[in-house]
Amino acid sequence: MAGAPDEREPGPAAGEPVQQPHVAGRVFPERPPEGKPQHRFLSGFLSNNQKCQLMLLRTLEKNPYVKLLLDAMKHSGCAVNTDRHFSCEDCHGHVSGGFDASTSQIVLCQNNIRSEAHMSRVVTHELIHAFDHCRAHVHWFSNVRHLACSETCVRDRAILSILAVRNISKEVAQKAVAEVFESCFNDLEPFGRIPHNKTYARYAHRDFQNRDRYYSNI
Amino acid sequence: MADGGGGWQPPRPCEAYRAEWKLCRSARHFLHHYYVHGERPSCEQWRRDLARCRDWEERRSAEAQRSLCESERARVQAAQKHALVWTPRQSPPADWHLPLPQEEKDE
Repeated sequence: MAGAPDEREPGPAAGEPVQQPHVAGRVFPERPPEGKPQHRFLSGFLSNNQKCQLMLLRTLEKNPYVKLLLDAMKHSGCAVNTDRHFSCEDCHGHVSGGFDASTSQIVLCQNNIRSEAHMSRVVTHELIHAFDHCRAHVHWFSNVRHLACSETCVRDRAILSILAVRNISKEVAQKAVAEVFESCFNDLEPFGRIPHNKTYARYAHRDFQNRDRYYSNI
Repeated sequence: MADGGGGWQPPRPCEAYRAEWKLCRSARHFLHHYYVHGERPSCEQWRRDLARCRDWEERRSAEAQRSLCESERARVQAAQKHALVWTPRQSPPADWHLPLPQEEKDE
């Protein structure tokens, strides 16, 4: 895995587009070495940065998808520390967030995430990347098939997500997704099922907590 | 993981089999499943597993235990049949817990 900061590609390894993005490449201007979140005091009571942090904390406490992913990561040796592994920053364009494999950080775009529901989706999405990074040798930057695999849930969205952070043609992205789709669509870790809504996510979490009993009795 | 012998219990509480069966048979699940897979879900196995779980709870039936194990092993097998695109790690990434490369100094 290319972890050396010097040869890091611009921006995080994977991201989630809000709308149809035309951008690729550098959309995360605040990533190291110089980046520092800018505090803007808007007409609202809290700054974007403060709102982002508050929404993040609520999501981490309440969302069943996120709680399962955090447990699964802890179990895999990648316990998540909020201060270390999350960063609220301003981002260019319409991207909502990303996973920076070179610093093991999830970037949250404080200028683009406007609601707690949106925050929950972004955090879930990026935690899945972090989880894949934790359990497997994912070549985020050098192998577009690996990136495609981590983005695979629905084909078109996977293609859009790749195009948001890689300067490649749509055809190359489509081909990568097509090649890995069968295998990656059926890899349901850590949920064990497709969690269509929170009920499924809660059941999946319950199963995860029950795994010792499960595997010792089959 | 051998069945038989002291200390065995069903892999899931019986209530979990019931909950899965009910979820499987719900209209919402039908829609999700049909949308994703193009066919209706099959829920019969959950019902059988529920019956066997209760059977074991009431009568400690060896046949129920055997069937339940077989059913769950089949589920595990089905989940594992696709090879991963990437190589699994033997241990988590070494830099996961390290401090950030350049700590920002507070002004």
